[in-house]
Amino acid sequence: MIAGARCVLATNSPEASELAAAWEQKTPQRHAASFEMEVFVDSGMDDTTDQGPFFRGQNHLVFAFLPPRGFVAYDLLRRRVHAVLSTAAARDCCFWNNLLLPITIGVLGTTVGVIPLHSACLDYDGNGLLLAGVSGAGKSTLSAAMAEHGFSFVSDDWTYISKHGSLLMAHGLSSPVKLLPDTVKFFPRLRDLAPRTTLNGELAYELDPSCAEGFTVKRTSYPRRILFLERTSQPGCEFVPCRPDDVRTFFECNGERLPDELIEAKTFRTGIIETLSGCPAWILRSGDNPHKTAEAIGDFVAEAHNATV
Amino acid sequence: MQRFDGREYIYPPDLLRRFVATPLTFLYRIGAFKVIVKTNDETLLPAFEASFESPGTNTFEWKLIRDSDSHGLLEPSMGITSGPLTFVGMGPACLIGVDRQRRELFAFIGRDIDRQTYKALLIPLFFELTSEACAANAASPSEGHNQACANE
Repeated sequence: MIAGARCVLATNSPEASELAAAWEQKTPQRHAASFEMEVFVDSGMDDTTDQGPFFRGQNHLVFAFLPPRGFVAYDLLRRRVHAVLSTAAARDCCFWNNLLLPITIGVLGTTVGVIPLHSACLDYDGNGLLLAGVSGAGKSTLSAAMAEHGFSFVSDDWTYISKHGSLLMAHGLSSPVKLLPDTVKFFPRLRDLAPRTTLNGELAYELDPSCAEGFTVKRTSYPRRILFLERTSQPGCEFVPCRPDDVRTFFECNGERLPDELIEAKTFRTGIIETLSGCPAWILRSGDNPHKTAEAIGDFVAEAHNATV
Repeated sequence: MQRFDGREYIYPPDLLRRFVATPLTFLYRIGAFKVIVKTNDETLLPAFEASFESPGTNTFEWKLIRDSDSHGLLEPSMGITSGPLTFVGMGPACLIGVDRQRRELFAFIGRDIDRQTYKALLIPLFFELTSEACAANAASPSEGHNQACANE
């Protein structure tokens, strides 16, 4: 199971098959939509190029070069993934967990009942809090700070939403938290790591949430509240209520445009966004550092929680 | 209540370049089959004589996109064929996908691929992939929608 979708994997590689065992679920959700993934490992594949990842798509077909290790093709109509990987990639759990699987769910998810949302997700007593905002708004930094202030960590950048009966469920893929070099002043532990070039070409520290001291990681949560992050130069934190229409507009505008061939997927996404727009939502304007902001959110959420109880 | 406008947050909406307009459309008869070519760059139109017949229902469609954001030359090709699909990647400079059932061929061609390379290497490849697709559809009509395009 990957983010609430069932993946049926066929491969010629025992190593890939072994890695896949990590996401095997003993009691798979019977109603989860499934997709097929065919992975061919080519021992003769050149994995010496140093280009960045590259994506293109037309109608229901999507291509991804994940250099230097793979060529992946997605058929969104038939819910199939075809990949040719180098031996090194097939053996590399980081390649699978940080690149291939998140990208696969990002590209294919909408067609198998999993909506990728450009948001972080933290959990507080079983209640999911989505942190949304444009790239650079500080989702990852704030997520890491919140994980150090009592919230459980689900995801820091992309959250995958599926339906679980009448409820929405938020999934994280345990991808590393990407923290820009200047955040080292807030997280001194980063000094022990070396920054790396990430998927979008930025230099960042990659913090594995499952190994990070003080972090509690949850794979899933039920989203109940949404915060839209805005940085300001004024000190302090302000929570400004949002209307459902604005929540809807934000997520509709952030979602990738889908072609007409994928009308069912479009309709499903609209339904999920509609449900999300019913969650209480606020704009969080903060000029404070991430730790102070995390504390303010903790107080705000506890207050809202107590008021509900 | 202070107004929040979600539209301020518009994220690049077409990351995969799915919606690049292809305003140039021509119909060709190439050997036994008809092809509608749609493209955003006239230099990608094949040097065949345009056909003025009606396209018909079994026409193959080629969507050829000049990808101005992709640079570099052709790299050794990687291919995947599975079920009704064939994918060929020659690095970011050339990506080709063929869906035999839907009689569609898509190609992204990088900005550094010159006309000569395109004509000598890529057009014959499109032709070959289309011929194979039509032959496969003819051999297994259930895979195609109705009938193979070669039989039109």
